[in-house]
Amino acid sequence: MQTIIPSKRRSFSLKQREEIDFYLAIGLWLIGFILFTGGPILASLLFSFTDWTGVNISKAKWVGLANFHQLLFDDKLFWIATRNTFYYSFGSVIFGTLGAFIIALLLNQKLPGSTLLRVIYYLPSIASGVAISILWLWLFNPQSGLINYTLSLVGIKGPMWLGSQQWALPALVLKSLWGIGANMVILLAGLQGIPVPLYEAARIDGASKWSEFRNITVPMLSPVLFFVLVISTIASFQIFTDVRVMTQGGPGTATYVIVYFIYQTAFEYLKMGYSSALAWLLFLIIFILTLLQLWGSRRWVYYESGERT
Amino acid sequence: MQKQNLSRRKFLQMAGVSLAGTALLAACPAPQAAAPAAGGAAAPSTAKTTLTFGHTWEAAFQAHQKEFDDKFKAKHPEIEALNATYNTWGDHNQIVPTWAAANTLPDIIYVHGRYAFPWNHEGILISVNDFIDKDTAFNVKGIWEEALRLYSYNGKQYEIPYDHGPIIMGYNKDLFDAAKMDYPSETWTMDDMLEAAKKLTKGDTQWGYEGYYDTIVGLGNEQGISLVGPWGGEVFNEAEDKIVLDSAESSAALKWWADLIHVHKVSPMPAQSQAVPNGPWVAGMAAMFSLASWGTPTLIQNAKFKWDVAPWPKGPKGQKTGSFGSGFGITRDSKNADAAWTYLAEYLSKEGMEFMWGASGRGSPARKDAYPSWLGSSGAPEHAKYYQDALENYAVTGHPYQTLAGGEILDVFNRNTQLVQTGDMKVEEAIAAMIKDGTPVLEDAAKKLKSG
Amino acid sequence: MRQTLTSDVRVTKDSGYTIPWHQRRKTRQTIQALIVYALLLPGAIIFLFPLVWMLSTAVKPENQIFLFPPKWIPEPILWSNFWDGWNKFLPFNLFLRNTLIITVNNIFGNLVSSCLAAYGFARLRARGKNIFFMLVLGTMLLPNEVTIIPQYVLFSLLKWNDSWLPLMVPPWFGWPFFIFLLRQFFMNIPHELDEAARLDGASSWRILWNIILPLSKPAIASVVIFAFIGNWNNFLAPLIYIRSLDRQVLAVGLNMFRGQYGQTNFGYMMAVALLVLMPVLIVFFVGQRVFIQGIATSGLKG
Repeated sequence: MQTIIPSKRRSFSLKQREEIDFYLAIGLWLIGFILFTGGPILASLLFSFTDWTGVNISKAKWVGLANFHQLLFDDKLFWIATRNTFYYSFGSVIFGTLGAFIIALLLNQKLPGSTLLRVIYYLPSIASGVAISILWLWLFNPQSGLINYTLSLVGIKGPMWLGSQQWALPALVLKSLWGIGANMVILLAGLQGIPVPLYEAARIDGASKWSEFRNITVPMLSPVLFFVLVISTIASFQIFTDVRVMTQGGPGTATYVIVYFIYQTAFEYLKMGYSSALAWLLFLIIFILTLLQLWGSRRWVYYESGERT
Repeated sequence: MQKQNLSRRKFLQMAGVSLAGTALLAACPAPQAAAPAAGGAAAPSTAKTTLTFGHTWEAAFQAHQKEFDDKFKAKHPEIEALNATYNTWGDHNQIVPTWAAANTLPDIIYVHGRYAFPWNHEGILISVNDFIDKDTAFNVKGIWEEALRLYSYNGKQYEIPYDHGPIIMGYNKDLFDAAKMDYPSETWTMDDMLEAAKKLTKGDTQWGYEGYYDTIVGLGNEQGISLVGPWGGEVFNEAEDKIVLDSAESSAALKWWADLIHVHKVSPMPAQSQAVPNGPWVAGMAAMFSLASWGTPTLIQNAKFKWDVAPWPKGPKGQKTGSFGSGFGITRDSKNADAAWTYLAEYLSKEGMEFMWGASGRGSPARKDAYPSWLGSSGAPEHAKYYQDALENYAVTGHPYQTLAGGEILDVFNRNTQLVQTGDMKVEEAIAAMIKDGTPVLEDAAKKLKSG
Repeated sequence: MRQTLTSDVRVTKDSGYTIPWHQRRKTRQTIQALIVYALLLPGAIIFLFPLVWMLSTAVKPENQIFLFPPKWIPEPILWSNFWDGWNKFLPFNLFLRNTLIITVNNIFGNLVSSCLAAYGFARLRARGKNIFFMLVLGTMLLPNEVTIIPQYVLFSLLKWNDSWLPLMVPPWFGWPFFIFLLRQFFMNIPHELDEAARLDGASSWRILWNIILPLSKPAIASVVIFAFIGNWNNFLAPLIYIRSLDRQVLAVGLNMFRGQYGQTNFGYMMAVALLVLMPVLIVFFVGQRVFIQGIATSGLKG
């Protein structure tokens, strides 16, 4: 290091300091990861190679890849749960993100009452729990529920929804759309971060609304849209509460999803090893999807800072 | 993508190097030697003890629990405090294994009949045999035998039941009165019940029979045997390593119940009953219901109609129904097992049960001599004696309760019986599927049980 | 198009900002506003359902809750359910105090630690940065059903059982969701700004404090909103770690109304749930105003 010529030393030490600052900045997180999260995560990875019941670790036996082998080749529930989870994820992410985007665009203005509308649209994402799921069971009632009643007004005979093998999963997707308020908030925050002068400049240049939307709104919002997309994907793959409360995976296996499977195996069947293996397969699935999204984002996500994902 | 590989490899390396120590420490608590102080004489110690509990009572019942605890404390000055943790039933069943993994179980926990066997197998609880033998004041004979068997493991008694009850027939008096029909009687057969149900069904707004909490064809512990038993069938063999639903009796029974929905249309489809909060029966939209004794307080609280109970109708092969219940046990982490037993012995004595569940109307106590206090309470319907009658004469504890796969096998059943109810599956297909999917589960569990 | 509207409405209220050609389109804007209402109002009715349902259930006598079809306006209206639900069974005042302490601590913890980490990931160049970022994402991917037992064992070994430490300490060490969220916002700020400051000798921390954070008010507001709600409603962690009733929090207390065989008193439960929901609504209401202010700030500086 001593041999570096003085003119370059300054830039090098700047760079070095930046690197030190980086570690200081992420230091708290890194310590927390080592102390609180990393251990349990690694532990669950180890458990996935054992037949641990979840109670007495001393009784656990190393079984190698047996859990994974059984899941992949010998457990049809795994494939059913995976298929259902993908279905749910696809539906709720696409419609959820699109819906939240449209509502955020519409609500991103100071119309009279827009504050109230924001609160209303945000509300269902925080009002949850058992009693609310009873409301949903009632809304989905094939005979007297509001959904089928509305459909009947336009001459459509609604399905049996949660009581039907074909419609139970779409019903859960529909319910998930009710919680798009959280995504809406993030997108609103993103929209508000776009500097107004950009639009004013565009207008002076005589740009059309559509080109403003395409050339300013979408690129400036893309980092946030990307966040919403990734987070929604992760959350949708981990859907659990609605299934546990409303359908318990049924009818049949129509709404049987991976995390419900994980929960049951771990705490109802006392097969923590098997459950951990299942969780790590889920991890792998989401990890690959996230990597694909990261990779894909290079084509459409634009960072004002010029960084890449 | 090189970065992807790099990050994953790094991920594992990092995690491995820096965390292995923590993780292993975290994951491997030294297995505690389960050394209950059962044998030792209850030496009077000067140190005050604190007992901890894992309860499942909802908010409204916690005051009643506290009342008992206060009385107990007043009687036992050596007890410093009784500290209860309250979780809902579902949460409790998840938290107990978590507590156990870290050796932090409370002294006494609630144990549902279905969880008793696997939890005992895991050593979460200790046997109370020695305590029972020593404590001559504790009258174990006064507890229904069918209740006690739920909590025996390896020939030893682990938990003590507090509540045990059978399924019998509940009926809505208002709907019977409106139709000018006689109430279900002691001599009723299943065919009588079907005839009455037909007359009491009105399209989509009123059903003759609602089943057991939205389930018409269900094989859960207490319900399974109440469906096939009257036809002379069984769900499992006695050892619980085989499903015997394909017997002529059992399949005929299941077909009869499924026909209530799809042929006679006297029972609702699942979607129809789920849409009514707490089910059509509580809403007054069903004339008859499989009513277990622990379901009566809810009804007294919520029903806007007059109702009563009748014996479970006789089937072609006589009268039979299923019973089930819950208990309490002392955990292996208890450092005050003697004090814990002192508490349990009083809690689950005749007087304790009368106070907690009998006179309070909460539910059918597991003791014969405490039953009358419930029969006369505000929580019991007029003819609650039919519950006692069933327990004494024709109710058996519903399997499975001696396999490690109790939860799993019932889920296998559920997935198939649900489709019978929605009409997506024929009864014969469902039986074949349950045997095909369920047998390996049971065999696997039996193997585990043998290997310890 | 939405931005035109924003500016225009502001124009009519705030004449200091007048840009002439806006005025000419006034009729068109009114029509646009009407279209927005037409699009959003039907949805709003559907989205308002849970609140109305909760309110209706909250004031119902016990035996009217399960009427079918439901009765939206009960007879009589039992406002006393609010008082009784809160006071009769469980120490909700205590739960409220506990929840407040934990939530306030955790919002600060989340904000400080996540802002720092997000800043590092978004704006500081370092080798191995992407690997660490993948780790941040990675911790979100594993469902907690399988980490909860080892984590519980870990905190037991630290003797943190039945205390607030497992709830209040980890938030000070970064929350992946917030780190990722803030990173996305931070990355969208032009690099020229801090490059210039850096050349002037500003430290990384000064850049964060003077440039990045002031430009990220909407993002910080949304983190505060989410951190508040997440901690206010947090159920699983207190459920597992806290055993003593007097240390318990609102979300778990609320759940204690539920009984195994339907002994749930939904009237009380809904009444208390509504009371618990109120602070969340207030925080959201206040927080979303910051979004609006955010326009002005970033508009001036951008």
